Amino acid sequence: MIATIVRKEFLTNLVSPRFAIGFVLCLVLIPFSILINVSSYRERTAQYRVDRDAAEKAATEVRVYSKLRPEIVLPPEPLSVFGRGLSGQVGNRVRIWLGDKPFLAAGKTAAGDNPFLASFFSVDFADIAAIVFSLLALIFSYDAFSREREDGTLKLQMSNSLSRSTALAGKVLGILTTLLPVLVFSFLLSGLLILFSRDIAFSAGDWGRIGLLFAASLVYLAVFVFIGLLVSARSRSSVTSLVVCLFVWVLLVFVVPAVSANFAESFVGAASRDNLDRVLRDLDAKRETEIRAAFKAQGIPAGWSCWWCSSGDDGAMETYGNDREEFENFRRRAAVSEPIRIDHAEKRWAAQKAYLDSLARQARAAERFSFASPTGIFRAVAAAVCRTDRASHERHMDRTRQYREAFVRWLRGKDIFSSFPWVTPADPSTFRTEDELIERRTAGEFKTAREFEDWASKQTDARTRWLKLSTVDLPGDGPNDFPFLDVSDMPRFEVRPGSLFGGLGPSAFGLGLLLAAAVLLFYLGFIAFIRYDVR
Amino acid sequence: MFRTVLKREILHNLYSLRFLISLALVIAAFAAGAASFVRSQAADLEEHREIQGQYLANMRGLAEGSATDLAVRRQTYTLKPRASGFIADAQEKYLPNAVVYSAWNVFAFQNRSGSANPFLVRFDELSWTFIAALVVSFIALLFTFDAVSGEKETKTLALSLANPVSRGALLGGKMASAVLSVTAIVLMGALTGLVIVIVLGQEGISAALAGEVLGFLAAAALLAATFAAFGLLASVVARNANVSLLLALTFWLAFAVVIPNSSTFLAKGLYPIESAETVQRNVTAAFGDLDKNAPPGSWMMNSGNPFLPQHELRANLQMKRLLAEKGIRDKYHQAMFRQFERTRLLTAVSPVALFEYLTEAVAGGGYLRFRKAWDDLHVYQGQLLGFFKALDAADKDSPHWFNPNENVSTTRKPVAFERVPQFEERPLALADRVGPALKYLIINVFLLSAVYFLAFIAFVRYDVR
Repeated sequence: MIATIVRKEFLTNLVSPRFAIGFVLCLVLIPFSILINVSSYRERTAQYRVDRDAAEKAATEVRVYSKLRPEIVLPPEPLSVFGRGLSGQVGNRVRIWLGDKPFLAAGKTAAGDNPFLASFFSVDFADIAAIVFSLLALIFSYDAFSREREDGTLKLQMSNSLSRSTALAGKVLGILTTLLPVLVFSFLLSGLLILFSRDIAFSAGDWGRIGLLFAASLVYLAVFVFIGLLVSARSRSSVTSLVVCLFVWVLLVFVVPAVSANFAESFVGAASRDNLDRVLRDLDAKRETEIRAAFKAQGIPAGWSCWWCSSGDDGAMETYGNDREEFENFRRRAAVSEPIRIDHAEKRWAAQKAYLDSLARQARAAERFSFASPTGIFRAVAAAVCRTDRASHERHMDRTRQYREAFVRWLRGKDIFSSFPWVTPADPSTFRTEDELIERRTAGEFKTAREFEDWASKQTDARTRWLKLSTVDLPGDGPNDFPFLDVSDMPRFEVRPGSLFGGLGPSAFGLGLLLAAAVLLFYLGFIAFIRYDVR
Repeated sequence: MFRTVLKREILHNLYSLRFLISLALVIAAFAAGAASFVRSQAADLEEHREIQGQYLANMRGLAEGSATDLAVRRQTYTLKPRASGFIADAQEKYLPNAVVYSAWNVFAFQNRSGSANPFLVRFDELSWTFIAALVVSFIALLFTFDAVSGEKETKTLALSLANPVSRGALLGGKMASAVLSVTAIVLMGALTGLVIVIVLGQEGISAALAGEVLGFLAAAALLAATFAAFGLLASVVARNANVSLLLALTFWLAFAVVIPNSSTFLAKGLYPIESAETVQRNVTAAFGDLDKNAPPGSWMMNSGNPFLPQHELRANLQMKRLLAEKGIRDKYHQAMFRQFERTRLLTAVSPVALFEYLTEAVAGGGYLRFRKAWDDLHVYQGQLLGFFKALDAADKDSPHWFNPNENVSTTRKPVAFERVPQFEERPLALADRVGPALKYLIINVFLLSAVYFLAFIAFVRYDVR
């Protein structure tokens, strides 16, 4: 009996214009979203290659350890083609500093080179699926009972020896068997587009995750079918059920997610970034005071003069051609300042972590609010399945922080802060006194530094002093006389491929919630249909 | 006759379930948006006050140091949260909202870090524009999709036309009633939102605000009319209401979801611009050329005596570097503006996008506001430079070698902060809003009349039996 009803429903749906239009809608929208996101993935991959090569070049082309600041570039996630999640907003580049732990990733966002483009929205497969599948589900179920009642066929059916539960089961299965091919077709089409695209390659695990996304879509679809049935079983006319269904659709798919994000932003405040910046500036000032005090305590002059110097952020200092005493001062300064710098990273991190936590709290609140709508749950599940949710990003950032610890341990293991290679590649046995340097550079014209200073102080044009000292070029006076550092033993950051089920705990919860909603709605629909007046 | 039709249609709408549900939904959404706006506006204003205080204190400190310090230091001016943000937020959270300048140049714009939470999936502010773009377009379609095909099914269409009523009057009546009903719903939502904003918010009512609200309502009516025309078109090309519903929903998905969301893709594909890396490389190359051709000793430092000859060499070199970089970067900024504007024009085939651009102009926000602030800052930078040069000319201890990056070879005397010209962002004047809006208005009116004309032709040929 039930097979007859399912077949009848399926065939009626199949020949209806709504099936044709719904099918065409999927046929147009799904490839549209996949193609747009494949193109954005291609762009991000190209950018990733450029960034990675630049980072690698920068890490190998240094001559002193103080300038070694490896940069981690995370590759784009192939699954982001299906669910972009946060991947377009959080960066993918993290530089490892001594004085700072990895905080927020840098790098181009989805807007690319033009920041104005950030004001445009863009959708991905998960968004389109959330919109189109729910609409299809409602379009096929809104008139399940109300239309048949209007046509009088429901009365006719019920006059046969047919239980209401069988009739309902037949309806549900009939609608699902109509929609299942559309769903399967959408996923197959997307899969084919991915397979035939040269820019993107999925691993077996990735395909497995697409399977999970399919399962989630099926449950999501079922939830909306049951909503449609419930509305249909509660209304007397098909026009009423249609209007109610469409408003429910707009409310759940568009309004609730927007309201939840807005309420989270307004009522769950995030810490002020400006405040954090101020705290960090104060901490940096404290660090500098501490470093200066330590110099003073150990009798190291804080100022320096050098023959060839290049300094930079985070205590970077590269220097050549100084006298022995000056080199020694550079070495002693770094031995004092760099451990302080590393210690201060912890203090900075306490403030930064509090800020990140407040951002995460706000995002979590938005997500929880959006769970009021199946669409919110589905989007969260899709992002987790596609490894583009907040948790995946935090996992990446945690790993970069672990890498920083490994990097610092490696530097400490070499006892590098108190050795000369921190500031210069020159061999300490080649260091000379100031007098020797002056004598050699001026080709013997001046024997001592004092003699030279006496002469220089009488010159009106300051440039002559410099010209005199450039009479003879000494080997080791500049960076070009030295090879790059050999850092083959430096710890490397490894990009770990994601596992099939890794990080799916929270989305299992979301999926469970969807299933529970589906069961509840089905039950309510069942009760409503049992009590339905079929006349 | 038209009045009879109109009256009947309006009453029909007024008593319908969709009217009641729309009204409830719109009022709830406007109230939620207003409450959310009032709350976040208070926090944003507080934060902006702090930023602005820091900015002024920083400037004061520099002025007490020396006029040159003030002139060469790069400052960041941050735009204030806009009071009319609840009408049209115009994505200001994601747009550049801070400008970096010194007396010598306006260097760059940026989106202030911390203006949007990067862990929150990108979302729309619940402003009137967002609610209207989403809900008004939808309910306008809901009121019209079965206007013709539905009446045909219930056989009342043939009955109506048996009376001495022209088809044009009938279609016009349906159109007008849909527009009036939807506008009435929006009006009630807007009033609810307005009451909440005025009672709970910090800003009172003003003539400017009233004008913006009226402008918004006009734009919403235009949006409703456009979608009502599309709904009628869907209604007259199909033989039954089910199909016209699907057609109407397809229109809606295309205009509200697909076209606005493909903008980034279109922008990058059709109007590509150079990458930031290329521009940086060009700047570095230009610097390299200038350094190579600079006379020897140009980079020598010794800031003790301002009259050392190397300071003049370095000042010349720094000035050339500034101009070279300015040339390259200004061109790049223009390319960005062009890319953005062209993409907008392309997406203007969607009435939803048109509506968003129109309300942006009405509320004087978003891109238009940024461009005005950007242009005004250029004027201000000129004033600041003029002020600084006058101070320097009056100082006998200055060698007058202008160097945009250092405080060595120009006046080292402090200046009273009160005398320094200050930048004040002014709201967009009416002309600034009408100009850009006109283009979109014309497109919208054209679209509306074309679709309505098509619907009319189809209706005239419609078999009402």
